Amino acid sequence: MAARRKILFHWSFLIVAALIPLIELVVPGNHHIGDLLRPIFIMAMLGLGLNILTGFTGLLNLGVAAFMAVGAYSYAILTCDIYPFRLGFWSATLITVLVGLTVGLFLGLPTIRLRGDYLAIVTLGFGEIVEDVLKNLDSITKGTQGINPLPSPSLFGYQFRPETYQPWYYLFLGFLALLVLVNRNLQRSRVGRAWISIREDELASSCMGINPMKMKLLAFALGAAQCSLAGALWASYLGSSGEPGNYDFQVSIIALCMVIVGGMGNIGGVLLGALVITGFNSIVLETLTNFLKAHQIINSSNVFTAPGNWKYMLYGLALVLMMRFRPEGLLPSKQLKAELHPQEPHPPPPS
Amino acid sequence: MNILEISDLTVRFGGLTAVNAVSLDVPAEEIVSVIGPNGAGKTTLFNAVTGVHEPTAGRIHFDGRETRRPFRATTALALALVGFVAALSLVLIANIEPLWDAVITTNYVYQQAFPWQKTPGAAVSYFAEEPGRRFLIPFLIGGITGLAGAYAIWARTRYAPEVAARAGIARTFQNIRLFNQMTVLDNVLLGMDSRLHMRFWHAALRLPLYWRERQEAEQRAMEILRFVRLDQETHQLAENLSYGHQRRLEIARALAIQPRLLLLDEPAAGMNPAEAQELMKLIHDIRQRGVTVLLIEHHMLVVMGISDRIAVLDHGEKIAEGTPAEVRNNARVIEAYLGKDHEDAAAT
Repeated sequence: MAARRKILFHWSFLIVAALIPLIELVVPGNHHIGDLLRPIFIMAMLGLGLNILTGFTGLLNLGVAAFMAVGAYSYAILTCDIYPFRLGFWSATLITVLVGLTVGLFLGLPTIRLRGDYLAIVTLGFGEIVEDVLKNLDSITKGTQGINPLPSPSLFGYQFRPETYQPWYYLFLGFLALLVLVNRNLQRSRVGRAWISIREDELASSCMGINPMKMKLLAFALGAAQCSLAGALWASYLGSSGEPGNYDFQVSIIALCMVIVGGMGNIGGVLLGALVITGFNSIVLETLTNFLKAHQIINSSNVFTAPGNWKYMLYGLALVLMMRFRPEGLLPSKQLKAELHPQEPHPPPPS
Repeated sequence: MNILEISDLTVRFGGLTAVNAVSLDVPAEEIVSVIGPNGAGKTTLFNAVTGVHEPTAGRIHFDGRETRRPFRATTALALALVGFVAALSLVLIANIEPLWDAVITTNYVYQQAFPWQKTPGAAVSYFAEEPGRRFLIPFLIGGITGLAGAYAIWARTRYAPEVAARAGIARTFQNIRLFNQMTVLDNVLLGMDSRLHMRFWHAALRLPLYWRERQEAEQRAMEILRFVRLDQETHQLAENLSYGHQRRLEIARALAIQPRLLLLDEPAAGMNPAEAQELMKLIHDIRQRGVTVLLIEHHMLVVMGISDRIAVLDHGEKIAEGTPAEVRNNARVIEAYLGKDHEDAAAT
């Protein structure tokens, strides 16, 4: 009974999300909540990719922005008409996911024996390398200009337009729902079990016949594939690959913040983290800035008074506070909660 | 028939010889105990058998085969493939921009049909201009690095716990190593996972194979949990179990990999006499299921009560082996445990 109620509860989220663009039809006014949610969906996909690596398997990755950049650029090269490929949305997205998978394997193979801080440093370096390569491979990536314009996707004969956001909203929501479903299925199968067992005790896990190298490579491949899918959708949304600087270390850190603030190893937590962090960035800060400017409380020429310039400090503060008061995240997996609060008395088992 | 044959096994850590030229045969479906004072090398012996430590010298045969990854034709093929891919990748990385220009940029007129049939020729002629610098050198460097790296990783992981586990050797640990934040059922299911046939795509898409195997695995897991009498606790987190239950769960998890040999590292540690009696019965029942048991134990009541044979280690060497009665009266064993008697000590 409880399980069925839980499933209903989860589906109700999807239904609410599907209804959000319709608010505009009912309530008059120029508030595009659905429009603002699109980047959140994409960041949530990035967070889900990172969650496989860091949340489930315990591999700290500080370079997920690189996977996203690979996805965005590969999608851009495959669709933009300054290159000969000129593929449609579906085939370009599919190839991009495969490219992401391969890049994940390429990073995973040489680092397979590294763990903890050492792996974090390597992935950090990988992120910087990818950004620099994209900046300097002028004839392929157009350097710092980025690749644009990208054609808007057309699905099943329907041509997307940048002006109307609703089709995009449902496209991204569909992809996000698909990823959530796949991740949940993986988490509750032998794959997720093996990942979590590696995070908890790699030696015991391998003594039970789990091959940690294989499972870590799988985590790298699937995580990178999801991040590059996020990159491809991001590029299609912007109509441009964006410049390499858009995929810098800060994006990786924001993704990590989402996973940590939301709750490591918990899919719902990652979604909540994406909503809180990206929503804070693109909705709260922006509204606040506009409000303050409109009432002439701040002077736009003074960089210190713009709330947007404070955001990294606020992220840092949020992380410090989370680590101090709620290290398991806002919506923790019950496993991690137990791991981080060992001193709490356990409830007596129901008899 | 011997299911496990250890011959002249030596394990050295730097200057410390933990196990020195130990030979031990374990007959199938018997209960064999390894005893000895602390630091005698018993756990190191277990670690070598289960692939946690690589033997410095000597061989371990399980069921007639060595407990390490065999070098097969597929291994050579996989190594060659990794080397080849690394070689091609380095060629590509070294030439990426001029190659792109030669193949794509020069052939593509904006928004005109792209002459795909020209691309292989353009690539070949690009490399033919300077075959040494553009192709051969990066190919060789990439190939050698890739091959050497792949071989190094393969060779270093020849002795791996998962190899021993898949061959059918299961173990428990001296200090319990359960997956504390997983449920009791998940702990047992994890042991079963290496025997499943489903791949990640079956799990991700929940294909029919996933449902079938999941149902079978859960039934078998419940059967094992009933066997160790933990079936009331299936959905508890492992760390919430009492100490004795955790010990039993570790045995259940080990049984889940369908072992033919079970290594128990001090299963009776910290147990009271009644619990120890229960454990002895459990070990007997495990043997009844056709599983050979190799046991490290300090609890003499347990050791003498259930062992068919006993081997005694001291300072990394085997000093005695035989039936419980033989070992009990062996002078070297008594000396190892109690020291030399008083007159001898006075004489030296």
